[in-house]
Amino acid sequence: MSVFAVILGLIAGAILMIATGNNPLDGFYFLFRGGLMNIERVGNTLATATPLIFAGLSVAFAFKTGLFNIGGAGQMLIGGLCATAIGLTFDWPKPILLAVIIIAALIGGALWASLPGLLKAKFNVHEVVSTIMMNWIAYWIIFYIVPQYFKGPFLETESQRIPAAASLKVPWLTSLFSGSFINLGFFLAIIVVVISAFILERTTLGYELKAVGYNRDAAGAAGINVNRNVILSMAIAGALAGLGGATFYVGFASNMQIGVLPAQGFDGIAVALLGANSPWGVFAAAIFFGILHTGKGFMNAMTAIPPEIADTIIATIIYFAATSVLIERNWDKLLKFNRDNLLRRKKKESLEVEAGGDQ
Amino acid sequence: MKKWLALLLVVVFVFAVSGCGTPTPPADDTGDDAGDAPAALKVGMVTDAGTIDDKSFNQGTWEGILLAATDFGLETRYLQPGGTTEADYITEIGNLVDAEFMFVVCPGFKFETAIFDVQTRYPDAKFVLIDGFPHAGDWTPVVNDNVVSIFFTEHESGFLAGLATALQLGEGEVGFIGGMEIPPVQKFNWGFQQGVLYANENYDTNIVMNAENFIYQGTFDDVAAGQVLAAAMYDKGVDAIFAAAGGVGVGAINEAKTRASAGENVWIIGVDVDQYAEGIYDGASSIILTSAMKYIDVAAYDMIEAELNGAFPGGQILTFDASNYGIGIPKENPNLDPEVVEKVAAAFAEMQAGTLAVSDVQGDLIK
Repeated sequence: MSVFAVILGLIAGAILMIATGNNPLDGFYFLFRGGLMNIERVGNTLATATPLIFAGLSVAFAFKTGLFNIGGAGQMLIGGLCATAIGLTFDWPKPILLAVIIIAALIGGALWASLPGLLKAKFNVHEVVSTIMMNWIAYWIIFYIVPQYFKGPFLETESQRIPAAASLKVPWLTSLFSGSFINLGFFLAIIVVVISAFILERTTLGYELKAVGYNRDAAGAAGINVNRNVILSMAIAGALAGLGGATFYVGFASNMQIGVLPAQGFDGIAVALLGANSPWGVFAAAIFFGILHTGKGFMNAMTAIPPEIADTIIATIIYFAATSVLIERNWDKLLKFNRDNLLRRKKKESLEVEAGGDQ
Repeated sequence: MKKWLALLLVVVFVFAVSGCGTPTPPADDTGDDAGDAPAALKVGMVTDAGTIDDKSFNQGTWEGILLAATDFGLETRYLQPGGTTEADYITEIGNLVDAEFMFVVCPGFKFETAIFDVQTRYPDAKFVLIDGFPHAGDWTPVVNDNVVSIFFTEHESGFLAGLATALQLGEGEVGFIGGMEIPPVQKFNWGFQQGVLYANENYDTNIVMNAENFIYQGTFDDVAAGQVLAAAMYDKGVDAIFAAAGGVGVGAINEAKTRASAGENVWIIGVDVDQYAEGIYDGASSIILTSAMKYIDVAAYDMIEAELNGAFPGGQILTFDASNYGIGIPKENPNLDPEVVEKVAAAFAEMQAGTLAVSDVQGDLIK
């Protein structure tokens, strides 16, 4: 993760606070205090970051293959639906149930995202368009299935509450973080970050995926099956988002609501951008976002900054930080350009001097 | 060049960190509750799905709090959760309590399980839950002494609005657009239908209701969908639509305003608060025939006042209905004839006397 980008983001937020007549020092003090002030809030920060880690990994992974996965929200919904359906249907011992829930969410997300991958590979349908449309298909599927099969006795708009045995929340963790929402999803996220980093950096599969991302034609000419890798990359991205959905719907939340596309699916794009598409970068970026999201309310409560401005400040920090990664990259290029110029000029001068010396 | 940049970053970072190290906290920081008994009450609110200016539920609650704040000199604040999960709500309630807002008003059934959690988590804080009661997810009410739970008889309110609509139209067709299919919205709908039927039976009106024009859109924020639904109903010949749907209703109102400006004779019946002002077009007239009101603002105000008087009705589930003026149609109804208002007032009096009962279940009614 780029510290430079984060600082630029915070400066942009500070400017906005000053512009709206608030003291940015107070604002940031309470923002970070709200995210980190005690063990419960640290737990909540990590819990908020958990789905973002998965969503960010999903976007980053697809991006390595040159694909832009905007379907994180829909893949999260499908993963969450698989998790919720199994959690509400089966009455197994907790370890088995959780294992099945996680695998189901993974498969659900993978299948859901491999469809756009297939369309891309076979018919060259742009994945941005198809994943966005898949989001809405997922949205309406949830809208139909949850009230039809999983609703509670009264409300048409949300599923029954997930039983304790199917929840990623575990009592020892909750009490360790004095009543926080942190759940096993966070540890799953760490494991998945490690695995993703391993796949991308140390395996043939990772190498092929990246090769396709760098240059499809070159990869194809080198004997790599481009279509297979496009589908595979989308499937893995979907599996990651599906896992994120499971941690969100049976971990962070305790039921599934209809009519809501999870915002994490889209925030994942910013997380991936800020994390420079590297698994550990994504991890750090997601935790940074977790602090912002958790601390926002406390900043609101302790200062006169109204919620709408606070939301704008958080959004400014997030998107400024994410986009300044681009500025930073170009900055490096600019520096390199200058340096090269300088070197060239020096070389030229020294040549001239040498030439002059000969005279 | 790179060194300069690094130096700049270090300076900025040190500035930021030192800023964090030497805070300028407002009057009282958290953690010192020794001897702060007479401190002024700080009232907080957490918004439900939707914004503070939703022209209905959130706004109504907030206006009640603001009125109490000016009357009694209180500090107030509202927070807007990042999502609509129980965890989001608990987080924001915790933020208010940590900032010593010890009286928190939460409008909406979605807070039920969150309030169940925080009533034991923060035993020193008081909570007002509107339209729901705390439970652990199993719909068994557990209302602790620091919580009061408030319900409204939406069916009575809907009945009065339905009666007024039928009497004013005399003849025609009415429809209904609901938000999510949740109890308060359903009760508005069923009450509205009973009001129309009552008028048909007792006052010889001829109002038609078709099942296809009684629709729950499914959200409270899809303005465009509300507009589309309203347009479809008006095209089918519906004259007045009861829109109990938050932002979706705003879409319906927009459609009605467009049509009314073009000379069509269409109406909307507002919900929760007096929406007359929202329906004004061409400067003077409004397409809001009347509104089925819940006096949410009064409820919020009353609870704050009770707390200040040391009479907070903790542990209770209160019902605001006709008998305690908790529901009704607006005091001013420029689009209703005086005799219509009179007849509605008569029905209201019968409700108060207990001689007119409105059912809060579906029975033979539409949806």
